Amino acid sequence: MLERSEWYDIARDTNWTPSYVSQEALFPPEMGDPYGIPTEEWETFDEPYKVSYREYVNIQREKDSAAYSVKAALARSKFHDEADEGWACVLKLHYGAVALTEYQACQFQARMSRFGPSPAMRNMSVYGMLDELRHTQLQLFFPHELVHRDRQYDWAHEAQHSKNWAVLGGRHAMDDIMMTRDAITSSVMVSFAFETALTNLQMIGLSTDAANLGDHTFANLITSIQSDEARHAQLGTPTIEIMIRNGRKKEAQQAMDIALWRVWRLFSITVGIPMDYYIPLEQRHMSFKEFMHEWVINQWERQVQDLGLERPWYWDIFLLDIDNHHHCQQGGIWSWRPTVWWNPPGAVGPKEREWLEEKYPGWNESYGSYWDVITNNLLQGHEEKTHPQCIPIICNMCQIPISHRPGPEWGARAYQREYGERRYNFCTEVCRWIFDTDPERYKDHETIVDRMYSGEIDPPTLENVLKYMGIGVISEGGRDGHDYGWVEGFRAQAAE
Amino acid sequence: MSGDAVARNNAVGPVLRAGEVADAVVEALEEDNPGKEFTVEDRVAYVRAETEGECVVRAETVARVLGRPFKIAELEVNLSSFSGRIETTDDTMRFYFEKRL
Repeated sequence: MLERSEWYDIARDTNWTPSYVSQEALFPPEMGDPYGIPTEEWETFDEPYKVSYREYVNIQREKDSAAYSVKAALARSKFHDEADEGWACVLKLHYGAVALTEYQACQFQARMSRFGPSPAMRNMSVYGMLDELRHTQLQLFFPHELVHRDRQYDWAHEAQHSKNWAVLGGRHAMDDIMMTRDAITSSVMVSFAFETALTNLQMIGLSTDAANLGDHTFANLITSIQSDEARHAQLGTPTIEIMIRNGRKKEAQQAMDIALWRVWRLFSITVGIPMDYYIPLEQRHMSFKEFMHEWVINQWERQVQDLGLERPWYWDIFLLDIDNHHHCQQGGIWSWRPTVWWNPPGAVGPKEREWLEEKYPGWNESYGSYWDVITNNLLQGHEEKTHPQCIPIICNMCQIPISHRPGPEWGARAYQREYGERRYNFCTEVCRWIFDTDPERYKDHETIVDRMYSGEIDPPTLENVLKYMGIGVISEGGRDGHDYGWVEGFRAQAAE
Repeated sequence: MSGDAVARNNAVGPVLRAGEVADAVVEALEEDNPGKEFTVEDRVAYVRAETEGECVVRAETVARVLGRPFKIAELEVNLSSFSGRIETTDDTMRFYFEKRL
């Protein structure tokens, strides 16, 4: 039999000269390449990670049978009966945020497989499309057996069909980078910024903690998924090289900068909070920050340099955000716990605080001061005082509450922009910059809070807002996952 | 906080799901890349093997270490990620950087 390399180049060369329609009608620029890079240039696209269809089918079969056999073998274990609610939160959050986002990714790959200007790109993204379909199916099927035990697992399937505030944030970002861009721009955004930089955190970083906890089904599942990503993410590299060679470095850079930030804001919640708060202290292998340094600061940023792009202009803001954003949102999500589909534990007892201080020096005098007030209220039996009475200000880009490191001075501010009829609020310079790159694109979207004032949620009573977000409809909303057990360590300390 | 926290390294190599293939690949890497020092970090569910600038995994060597037939394409089952850039041939995977820092 011929070796792959002996036939590969001929087999994937499926470009032809259309005679019934124009080239432009066959590959509309707004769907394929809006930059007008010549076809001959795209024909030099050489994907670095090659696979034949025969190999693909064999390998994927092996991956799938391994993932399903591990699940079947462990289905009778008592793992979920005995697992900490913190870990259940990791799973509920993961599946709700990820399962159907994979299906969006499937559509993104499908767009490249049809409209990609390079035949090699079209070929590789067929595998990418099948990969993402596999991920969707796995991550709908695996949580399904848990729904009978706890209705909150149903968000795996329901979340993306809901208008929960957290889902609005995810959907806004994914619609922006995956669903509404041409094949080339979205390849830079998704294949390179999203899949090469950040999915590693969710799909590999989290597997370490999963294995420590004994959830081998989940550890095996997510690392199997990431082995697909490692291959199809390589679509981004030749795309960027061809853009740079053809005078489009600026556009590639901007696409990468927008996408990294958008996905980062989400991942600091879906991975950052779990790693530093939800996973029981004894099973934490490294902090979120340490994982970020391993995967993004060391591994990904080095690839950016090798390709000939620059690190994003907001790098200093990004590094500061790695130290802060998920700590802010742990405080926010816990405080507004009835609005989410998992039961976030506060999980800031004396030992956890010691660990946080070690990993994030200064945590105690900043974030700790926020939790001091909550802890004292709980110790004095004033649970009702731990529920905020006001509505947060939501960023008009990332859809996440605007926040800042607490302490003696609270530096929270909204970065504002007047555009058209209204004023927009942003959490950072970066989210405002993204808006400024194309205000017409973003101007009509309403945050969850905008919807309370615009009449979309009418009347905007607490009951109506929760119902609008799917709370009490799909499942009950969240409560403290440890029923405030984490404050007992302080009571014991006080007694001594 | 300083903007200096960027990668000043040339570390390349595979990130593998922990298990017998990962162990075999690490052994094969050391054999097929003479004179290279590898650092191997064990993260419970995965193993990160890295060296300076460039390294190659050969299917033949992995097969010998495993004691069974092994095609390079099968490495994908266990290759969750990698640092550096990748190049695949009929029987090797190479990890490398074009620019050295």
